Amino acid sequence: MDKPIRIYQCEDSINGILSAIYEAGISGYGHRFIRIQPLVDGQAENMELFSEYISIETDSRKAEHVIEAVRSKISKQAYMYMMYALASCYADRGDAVYQFITYGFTMGNKVCSALQIPCVQRVFEIKRSVGNEVHFFREFLRFQEIQKTPSLLLAVIEPRHQIIPVLTEHFADRFMSEWFIIYDKTHREASFHNADGTWEVHVLTEEKAQKLEAYQEQREEYVDLWKIFFDNIAIAERTNAKLQNNMLPLHYRKHMTEFQ
Amino acid sequence: MIFQENATLQEKLAILSDAAKYDVACTSSGVQRKGKKGQIGNTEASGICHSFGADGRCISLLKILFTNECIYNCKYCINRCTNDVPRATFTPEEVCTLTMEFYRRNYIEGLFLSSGIVGSPDYTMELICKTLQDLRRIHRFNGYIHCKTIPGASPELVEEAGWYADRMSINLELPTEQGLQALAPNKSRKSILTPMRQIQNGVAQSRELLGMKGGNQSAYWYTQKRVGRALPGSQLRSAGDKLLSGEISQIAAHTQSDTNISYPEKSTIYQPASSAMTELTYGKQRDISRGFVPSGQSTQMIIGATGESDYEIMAVTEALYQKFDLKRVFFSAFINVNQDATLPALDGQPPLRREHRLYQADFLLRYYGFRADELLTAQRPFFNTYLDPKCDWALSHLEQFPVEINQADFDTLLRVPGIGTKSAYRIMAARRTGNLDYQALKAIGVVLKRAIYFITCNGRMMYPFLKIDEDYITRNLLENDRDVMKGFGEKVTYKQLTLFDDFGMAK
Repeated sequence: MDKPIRIYQCEDSINGILSAIYEAGISGYGHRFIRIQPLVDGQAENMELFSEYISIETDSRKAEHVIEAVRSKISKQAYMYMMYALASCYADRGDAVYQFITYGFTMGNKVCSALQIPCVQRVFEIKRSVGNEVHFFREFLRFQEIQKTPSLLLAVIEPRHQIIPVLTEHFADRFMSEWFIIYDKTHREASFHNADGTWEVHVLTEEKAQKLEAYQEQREEYVDLWKIFFDNIAIAERTNAKLQNNMLPLHYRKHMTEFQ
Repeated sequence: MIFQENATLQEKLAILSDAAKYDVACTSSGVQRKGKKGQIGNTEASGICHSFGADGRCISLLKILFTNECIYNCKYCINRCTNDVPRATFTPEEVCTLTMEFYRRNYIEGLFLSSGIVGSPDYTMELICKTLQDLRRIHRFNGYIHCKTIPGASPELVEEAGWYADRMSINLELPTEQGLQALAPNKSRKSILTPMRQIQNGVAQSRELLGMKGGNQSAYWYTQKRVGRALPGSQLRSAGDKLLSGEISQIAAHTQSDTNISYPEKSTIYQPASSAMTELTYGKQRDISRGFVPSGQSTQMIIGATGESDYEIMAVTEALYQKFDLKRVFFSAFINVNQDATLPALDGQPPLRREHRLYQADFLLRYYGFRADELLTAQRPFFNTYLDPKCDWALSHLEQFPVEINQADFDTLLRVPGIGTKSAYRIMAARRTGNLDYQALKAIGVVLKRAIYFITCNGRMMYPFLKIDEDYITRNLLENDRDVMKGFGEKVTYKQLTLFDDFGMAK
């Protein structure tokens, strides 16, 4: 039987995609004929002939519902895979996640390692790419002290994926009693960590974002000390720029102290 | 000697980081510790690199010497007492401030503190202890600390440092005792192996006391357990073991491999694990929450300064894992910084390729369940420059291939070139839900350009024309991997490829 493809269009956000997945799931239309399409800036990239389009309103209760179902009926690991994939910037993430969880509802937790299945391969690939980026920024993110008393630290990053929450979790454990801000320039959002250990993520207005960026111009003494260390620790006889580039891609150097 | 009496912090840091750069181990791995209220920092079991220097080596820890003054005269060392180099000494306070401020800015994962020998080994070790104590107690630092054991320091001081540090290391310096005598006249095998044994016993005891928090087992330990061999610390004696203790100076070509033969312990150089058991002292004043050296011990040796073969180096490495339960053994390609007449002159680059091959082989020991005498023998004591040790091993054991991906067990999969531990785990897990094809292997992360010569999927090789033939595979592997030719020019060709013969078209 051939039916027209049904395309669920939704907001380009985690809750938006999850709402579309919710609607698609309960429609009973047939998984094969369903696509999820997040709209970047409210626009679809490609419109297809002979497809039905359904526009989905973002509804956080529906999103909660999907998350709860994945956690209780599949596994925590599948939930983690799903959330990492949804935090990515890939246009096909909605499709991949939708198919991934439909398999999950029949296979259970085994779905996470069933790398024979194309949609699992895709989710796995996306998850790995997001996970790698998180790890890169754990390594290469740099704080600077923008205020002395009380000390306030600021880091600016430009990631491809929306990794602020996972990244902040890492630093919140590490710097439990520090005030710090991690600002994601790509998505113009920032996490604010308080000295009592609590933290929250905010999307910033243009004005506030510029204010944060202005702080980057400041210079402190530890920057010079760090550069001295960085230059002296390399062994001249072993110079290997290619290896350095492999390990530390140029893309990440933009906001790194030692390359400024 | 140039003394920088009133050097600024900048000048000191420049001198003392420059002097520390030849130390290899900059890892911050091996211990998982959550953040604590009122303290700063945590540690990740995997370790985190924070930058990569111009030489491509990772920068994970603030790697510095406490002082580069030294009473010893090791011929290979830039800081030996007869060298005319600028000297500087930190105060404990300076080291602590640098560590804390760098750490808060996410420049580093912690501190790597080494030192030249100033005054006496005990005095030096005391300075290190004082610094670490301040860092942990006054600055409430909960991140990673790696510190060097000073050869000849008293056991009490070594233990003191062990309660503050996450990892300790003492450099073996050279693979054989003869080498050590020739190049580092002030050090002896005994002064190196005694504290190494002390820390090994301490870690074992701490593990008993505190469980995994007191120190987890090494990758080598887990691998030995998986393949069902004797665990590290056992009484087996091998040729590498005798080389390590200095009973023999080289492994002669006629020596039979005797890894599995048990000898009585007769070495006087170091005590067996059990009898040298000195109890850890921990009382109310001691903070034992982190355990004693929870991330274990490592060591390093210089490659290419003395005349050992790769086989001898691997045998010693294996003995160190087996006998001293080390976490890692590091190799450092010899760089002739002093132009000393007793040292070999290097034409051009340090032996980086050799160092690389040794590291590859080291991973084969620790994660893949290979034994040193499987990779090399006394008759063939050097690694192939062009092929990595695993490919090289596979090519001389073609009778064990091809391996069927959908049926082979874990350890067999691990021996296939192009399949690493992660791929092997993923293959095992994915097989539970169905058969795998080549497309799936690619998604899993198997390096197909190496693996295709050694595997079948559902009974089929990836391309019907692939042959299991040593010449054929070698040529194709080299063809694929341009990197292996790096530095060797285009002179090296294995055999001219002939279309008709090689693709079975000549009829």
